[in-house]
Amino acid sequence: MDVIAAQLVNGVSYGMLLFVITCGLSLVFGILGVLNLAHGSLYMIGAYVAYTMTSQWFENFWLALIVAPLVVAVLSLAIELILLRPTYHLGHLSQVLLTFGLAYVIHDVTSMIWGSDVLSIPLPPPLSETLHLWNQDFPAYRLFVVAAGVVLAFCLWFVQEKTRWGAIIRAGLSDKEMINALGVNIKLVFTAVFLAGGYLAGVGGVIASPILGLYPSMEFQTLILALVVLVVGGLGSIAGTFVASLVVGIVETFGRFLVPELSLFLVFGLMVVILICKPDGLLGKQVVRH
Amino acid sequence: MKRKFYLIVLAMLLLVLSACGNSAIQSTTKKVEKAPKEGGVIKIGVLLPLSGVYASLGKNLQMGMELYFEGIGWKVAGRDIQLIVEDSEADPQVGLRKARKLIDQDQVDLLTGTVSTAVAYAIRDEVDKKKIPFLVSHAGGNDLTRSKRSDYIWRSSFSSWQIGYSLGQWAYDHVGKTVYIAAADYAFGREVSAAFKEAYTAAGGKVVGEVYPPLGNNDYSSYLTTIKNAKADAVYAFFAGSDAVKFVQQYEQFGLKKEKKLIGSGWLVSEDVRKQQGNAGVGTIASIFWDYHLDTKENKAFIEAFAKKYNARPTIEAMEGYDAARIIAEALEAVGGDASDPDKVVKAISNVQFVSPRGPIQFDKETHHIIQNMYIIETEEVNGQAENKVIEVIEKVKDPGQ
Amino acid sequence: MNKRMFISAAAILLLAAAPFLFSLFYLNLLAEILILAIFALSLNVLVGYTGLVSLGHAAFFGIGAYASALLSKEWSPQFLVTMLASLLIAAIAAAIIGLFCVRVNGFYFLMLTLAFSQMIYSFVHQSTTLTGGSNGLSGLPSPVFGTLDLSHPVFLYYVILLVFIVMYIVLSLMVKSPFGHVLIGIRENEMRMKAIGYNTTLYKYAAFIIAGAIGGVSGALYSTFNGFVSPNDVYWTMSGSVLIMVLIGGAGTMIGPVLGAAFIVVLETIVSSYTTMWTLIIGGVFILFVVFIPQGIVGFGRALTKPSANRLSFSRKAKALVKKEANQ
Repeated sequence: MDVIAAQLVNGVSYGMLLFVITCGLSLVFGILGVLNLAHGSLYMIGAYVAYTMTSQWFENFWLALIVAPLVVAVLSLAIELILLRPTYHLGHLSQVLLTFGLAYVIHDVTSMIWGSDVLSIPLPPPLSETLHLWNQDFPAYRLFVVAAGVVLAFCLWFVQEKTRWGAIIRAGLSDKEMINALGVNIKLVFTAVFLAGGYLAGVGGVIASPILGLYPSMEFQTLILALVVLVVGGLGSIAGTFVASLVVGIVETFGRFLVPELSLFLVFGLMVVILICKPDGLLGKQVVRH
Repeated sequence: MKRKFYLIVLAMLLLVLSACGNSAIQSTTKKVEKAPKEGGVIKIGVLLPLSGVYASLGKNLQMGMELYFEGIGWKVAGRDIQLIVEDSEADPQVGLRKARKLIDQDQVDLLTGTVSTAVAYAIRDEVDKKKIPFLVSHAGGNDLTRSKRSDYIWRSSFSSWQIGYSLGQWAYDHVGKTVYIAAADYAFGREVSAAFKEAYTAAGGKVVGEVYPPLGNNDYSSYLTTIKNAKADAVYAFFAGSDAVKFVQQYEQFGLKKEKKLIGSGWLVSEDVRKQQGNAGVGTIASIFWDYHLDTKENKAFIEAFAKKYNARPTIEAMEGYDAARIIAEALEAVGGDASDPDKVVKAISNVQFVSPRGPIQFDKETHHIIQNMYIIETEEVNGQAENKVIEVIEKVKDPGQ
Repeated sequence: MNKRMFISAAAILLLAAAPFLFSLFYLNLLAEILILAIFALSLNVLVGYTGLVSLGHAAFFGIGAYASALLSKEWSPQFLVTMLASLLIAAIAAAIIGLFCVRVNGFYFLMLTLAFSQMIYSFVHQSTTLTGGSNGLSGLPSPVFGTLDLSHPVFLYYVILLVFIVMYIVLSLMVKSPFGHVLIGIRENEMRMKAIGYNTTLYKYAAFIIAGAIGGVSGALYSTFNGFVSPNDVYWTMSGSVLIMVLIGGAGTMIGPVLGAAFIVVLETIVSSYTTMWTLIIGGVFILFVVFIPQGIVGFGRALTKPSANRLSFSRKAKALVKKEANQ
């Protein structure tokens, strides 16, 4: 029984880790309709910047958690203004490809700056402890990740549902001309959303890297994982992403526990099953099928 | 109409060009004898991953090679040495393409490198067919000097078997009677853990469970909880690179370190990952064929030279590159700098023996694999830093070759 | 028409003369380009003509490659036998996977194909005894045709060239056939095709199987050519690079994917000899293409020769695709 409970905690904490990684991608895709394939790269930059900050500038994880995502946000602002804004007219697919090319470019730029060695960010002192739960040991940092995931989810929900900004965003999503006519600059809204997505990617990078580490090609691994969660949850739904993170996290953890031989299959198998049974994902917006 | 004309002219031009060039038809139908180029440059093709996941290993191998050749002034038997380095991306297809470039286009006299065993296997037939002496400086797949043995392929690095087998008996005698095996799920991880299991069970130990997380796995919590609840004295682990950092850290975080001794291959706590693990690796026992803290005068000289040139500590891959360069140089010296006959070159390679930074090495002429010492190392805390210490030497470990 | 015939004949002649023109290294490179060109052409059936963007096409490449490798190793190195068997096996796999994939569109199609190919990758990676796991299968017997040994690089090149020409002609005919027109109709507006009375799902399914089967042929050629096969053939990066080949070359044209394959292979081989930063260069080139030359190399060439030419604009296709997504 202890083992099952411990695995459940593992699953939830892994799931929240996935949510922290995915929420930025989900936000941008849900509102802009742009599948940002450079999301993993932004995540990676967040992690690397945090690494440089904690290992060379100041040894404070919390400061890095605040500053590094801002750096990523500034970078994504530049990406939006220089690359995406002039190309919205090309259509969504072109923009997806654009971000894919960008991921290739960032891949080499980061390896130029930070090299190709394996790096890691040490856990901040109070969270490097190991806790005892149900007779099992559990790292305190994982609980912090769970808390961070819940807080992020709440903030996203609150902004989208309860604030004027959220109302504008939801309106922009359904009718661009309408919102323009109301005197809101829709371009500005898009820029702001992409910036927020970049910020969240950076937050994901800083929070996840003490667990997942920093190594070359990490961004593509992260990207694929995030895409899976996004699809399982249903496109364009933060709530769906939240539920999907938990489902993927728990299924994967128990899969590894019960049938470790199938570790590699699990994630993709789950995605296939869900897409076949529910083609719009767990909480995707129901659309008329033809 | 005009374009047609140009096209025809172009075609004619190409045909004329081909008459003078070294076309594929010519080079494959007529056997062109390589003339011993007196005083010319000896070209060494180096095939290493310089981008991708294994980039840092490739770069360190290259640094090691360059360090040695610089020490001898880039000259052997009066001839200049030129390294032609190609990026294999650790991808077998790219590796084969690049090997073909080195062999057919650059006409290298020797080939060395490959970090990835898959790349080594992929180019094996090409090298064998074209009789290019190939000194393997890292890839450890057992079969390369077993079922895939070639007259022209010699290996100066290690085999998976040497790494895994060497710890078996020692672990039974000094660590415990039961172990749980956890290894990354790829050929290297499987081979090393199988070799360990072979030696450990032969000694009388019992393997109570095995788990193989995927290569590049991100979260080990589920596996670690399983292992924690199994009854075993120790855990034998094979992970390298970022996997090693994550596994060793999470091993400590999930409270396994205080219950079960962590043992494994040297890459678990090697130079490139130990610093990143913080002190999580302290207490680990591992088997490997070289360590930074190996206390011999050859090793000290090597470390000093490396630090002087690069201002960094050498990794085990840098040592492999350094040794490979020396083996090549000594073999070329033995044939008087004449690399035109591949059979003479491989014979010279087989006779090379010297005391390397890793201890005395020589080749097994039967298997074409290196005979070398294996070291049992323990990670301990020195001035707040995790450092390795050699606690036992197993001399002259020879791969069985089958 | 006459001019096109002439250009095709000249191209075939040039390719046939290649062994007399190029050194062995470049001949091998050319052979590799032809193989990957077949692969890109097969993906083009989906991406360029049907408007289905797949990120899992390496699945069929890999299935073909492994099928051919295993057959030649365990059964018979007869070239024709392994090639046809690989085609059949890849087609069957495509028929099974396609059953699920063609029911969804746009981004979901992309993700579902990705998922299936990754599952096949996992299988290949883990079944060490069958597929050699991460090390792949090497030391494959050299192909024979009847009693003729094809291991000589020049022979092998001609065989590859022959297969390439056959595939190119078959696909050209298919594209021009009524079937091909329906596919293009689906790409431009699936709703309308449906309204006219076509069972578009069935057509998409057929396109998926054809693409898979030809992808399998290219994979089989690749493992025959290389003498080994590795899990990289099935990995998603392979799907990604072939997609890049199609898009850079020019989706929805016949010659585009061929040029794209040549462009990427040459770029990767030449550039990476000088710098390890080749992904940066490929990424940068790719961005430039998407922004400035959305029709790919073919569109670029057309724009140079005929400034008015504006066929099969990629951005238009993209818009059509997005519209379709929105229409769902």
